[in-house]
Amino acid sequence: MLRFLAIRLALIPPVALGVITILFVIFKSVPGDQAAIIAGATATQAEIEQIRTQLGLDKPLVEQYARHLAGLATGDLGYSSTFRANPLPRILERVPATLLLMASSILVMVLIGLPAGVAAAAWQNRWPDLAISSAVVALLAAPNFWLGMMLIALLSVHLGWLPSFGFTGALSLIMPTMALSARLIALVARMTRGVVIEEMRKDYVRTALAKGLDRRAALSRHVLRNAMIPIVTVIGLQAGFLLGGSVVVERLFAWPGVGDLLLTGVSVRDYNLVQGVTLLFVVGFLLINLAVEILYVVINPRLCHG
Amino acid sequence: MNRREVFTTIGTVAAAGVALHPDIRALAQAGKETLTFGQSTAVLTLDPAQGSFTGYPAGYEAALCIYDRLLDFDANMKIVPQLAESAAMAPDLMSATVKLRGNAKFHDGTPVNAAAVKINLERLMDKARNPTNRPLWDPLASVETPDERTVVIKLKAPFSQLPNSLAHGSGSIVSPAALQAGEGNIAKNPVGAGPYKVASFSPGQELVLEAFDGYWNGAPASKRLVFKTISEAATRISALRTGAVDVIDNVPVALVSQLKQDPAIEILSSPGLRPIGFALNLTRAPLKDAKVRQALNLAVPVKTIAERVFFNFAKAPDSPLAFNTVGYKSVSPLTYDPAKARALLAEAGYDAQKPLTLKLFTPQGLFPGDVSVAEIVANALQQAGVKVEITKIEAASYWDAVRQDAANVKWDLAMFGFNPSNASGLYHLASLFKSNADDAGKPDVWNMARYRNPEVDALLKEADSTADQAAQNAALGKAQELIWRDNPYIWLQINENVSAVRKGVAGVEVWPIVFTVVRRARA
Repeated sequence: MLRFLAIRLALIPPVALGVITILFVIFKSVPGDQAAIIAGATATQAEIEQIRTQLGLDKPLVEQYARHLAGLATGDLGYSSTFRANPLPRILERVPATLLLMASSILVMVLIGLPAGVAAAAWQNRWPDLAISSAVVALLAAPNFWLGMMLIALLSVHLGWLPSFGFTGALSLIMPTMALSARLIALVARMTRGVVIEEMRKDYVRTALAKGLDRRAALSRHVLRNAMIPIVTVIGLQAGFLLGGSVVVERLFAWPGVGDLLLTGVSVRDYNLVQGVTLLFVVGFLLINLAVEILYVVINPRLCHG
Repeated sequence: MNRREVFTTIGTVAAAGVALHPDIRALAQAGKETLTFGQSTAVLTLDPAQGSFTGYPAGYEAALCIYDRLLDFDANMKIVPQLAESAAMAPDLMSATVKLRGNAKFHDGTPVNAAAVKINLERLMDKARNPTNRPLWDPLASVETPDERTVVIKLKAPFSQLPNSLAHGSGSIVSPAALQAGEGNIAKNPVGAGPYKVASFSPGQELVLEAFDGYWNGAPASKRLVFKTISEAATRISALRTGAVDVIDNVPVALVSQLKQDPAIEILSSPGLRPIGFALNLTRAPLKDAKVRQALNLAVPVKTIAERVFFNFAKAPDSPLAFNTVGYKSVSPLTYDPAKARALLAEAGYDAQKPLTLKLFTPQGLFPGDVSVAEIVANALQQAGVKVEITKIEAASYWDAVRQDAANVKWDLAMFGFNPSNASGLYHLASLFKSNADDAGKPDVWNMARYRNPEVDALLKEADSTADQAAQNAALGKAQELIWRDNPYIWLQINENVSAVRKGVAGVEVWPIVFTVVRRARA
């Protein structure tokens, strides 16, 4: 297990370096002149050139890349035109809000999606299955920003139960979590249903039933354990995509997270800020994948050597 | 507990929660000493120099509550005294004498005296510490302080717009003690002499201000001001309707009629200072012909654009300047006459066999309704017999695409609008229509059309070198007539800035320069 972990961890730095390089190339090739943005709309050409020199943007690309790497090593993401400084502290202070929203969404996704899928499989083709499967289709079809707007209209504006925006305590977490997790609940439920139905047809289930176990015991003791690997994969992958979904949902609910900051950076073309947040997202994605792989091994120790 | 008991308990708790839980609308109405402003942009930094207040306009809107300046604008962009009791320009416009009021002090208790003002102005003049807003501060040569309450500003050349610079947001006066303690901290911990001081600030999320007891002009209208960033328009409107915020800015015009149906909401609007139009590339042979330029303007149905795209929250201009700009003069209304446009094009030698072909550049999401407006214009021009090729450019790369040296300009028509943040008509006209030093290079400021009229240059110079407001306005008026007649643009519309407040909120001002100002507001 330790060796497995060590190998996986050792892979992260080279992958991260590759990502940093790709991001650097992308952000150097997108249009939009940082110096002109910082100088403002009324700046003259001479002033723009002066700022370009100040920021070292006139240096050869290789030299800029080296400085970028050296900066990153010391936690310097470069000059942010929105914050007029290294944006790292501003990014980090928003991480908890995003993590909270992700964690509550994953929790809701598992707590609702998993039992719903198992229930649909257990009552296959009977009314609980039909009800759950229809709900799954509806949730998959509803885009999260639309769902969020509908929730705000109903629960805040019409009924006045929940705050419509911002992070102001536990109540304010409910709607963003619902908007963000709806699609994921549906995905997990559908996946679980399929996997459980498939497993229930296998010989070992027949054996378990034949030796006298009732259906519920066979389901919980044998089938679920075997069904877990594909389900965990889906949950892990979706947790990664939560990062993307959080951008939209955070903006809609004015949630003070990293995704909202990313859009602020994009709207004012603060490329160093956007680059920093993107890098954080990539590292987050890598860590989530690592966590999923560790979970595989916990569920099925044989994978450790595979 | 068996299963039934568990479900019953959960159900009871949930029902009780719904029945007993307080209505957030009721909570929001309590404690009305606080005024909350939901802003479409985020307050990010609060230093008038070092890049000035970001993001725009949220940072400026907050700064107007925290800092006082030597001079101020009222809601109609008229310049009025603030920290200065008076500011008199010398007749030769080479200096100005500013008399400070004696009773003003900063939030940290230090007095607003001549030395404090000198430190601030010298910081604003310093290119390294203040790289933005250069046209406002470059004309200053030096600052002298003959006594505690007198500041003399010396200029490099006659500069009649100095009062506009002093009233501009970037002219905010910062406590010298705070500057000395660390200039880098001002952006996060601003200390000014304005009616409100900072209680807490999370950049990009929330700024809480509380009334400053020692304000020279008495206690402000509210005890607390809270600025919250709500970028999404629909969310902003929901927040206003639930009463979670009292004021919102930037209401999309398409949603105004829906919002008006809510009896608790009031709409505030004022025409902006930014006329939108298409700059004509005057280096192209066909566009050098005055008849063609006139025809292009006659071919565009400006009224329809204001009514259909902007629901009447826009007006067609009647001068190169917007209605509330200082020095604006009404020249003549735009007319829509496609028949005459066709006739003029025919006179210039274009017809169905040999049509005029123009490349039109529009940004996506930079100006209000930009793509819709561009499509209407292209369609109208096509009906007048002009072939138009539209290129839509992502907002982030638009300036790079249009602001090129002459050889690399790919457009014949490029959408543009200039917002003179100091409300000065002279600044506006000089930025757009003063001849470039070299038309082959990139435009010096924003004269992308490469307009060149020696008469206009002379009038702008005349306006800039007279202290007499009437003489200045007369020169600007003549310049506006000349430019309007020359048609270097296809003139389109001046949009209104639309904000909304809850009924009962008083004192919110929507300034023509995009700002929604709450420093005199109360809930």
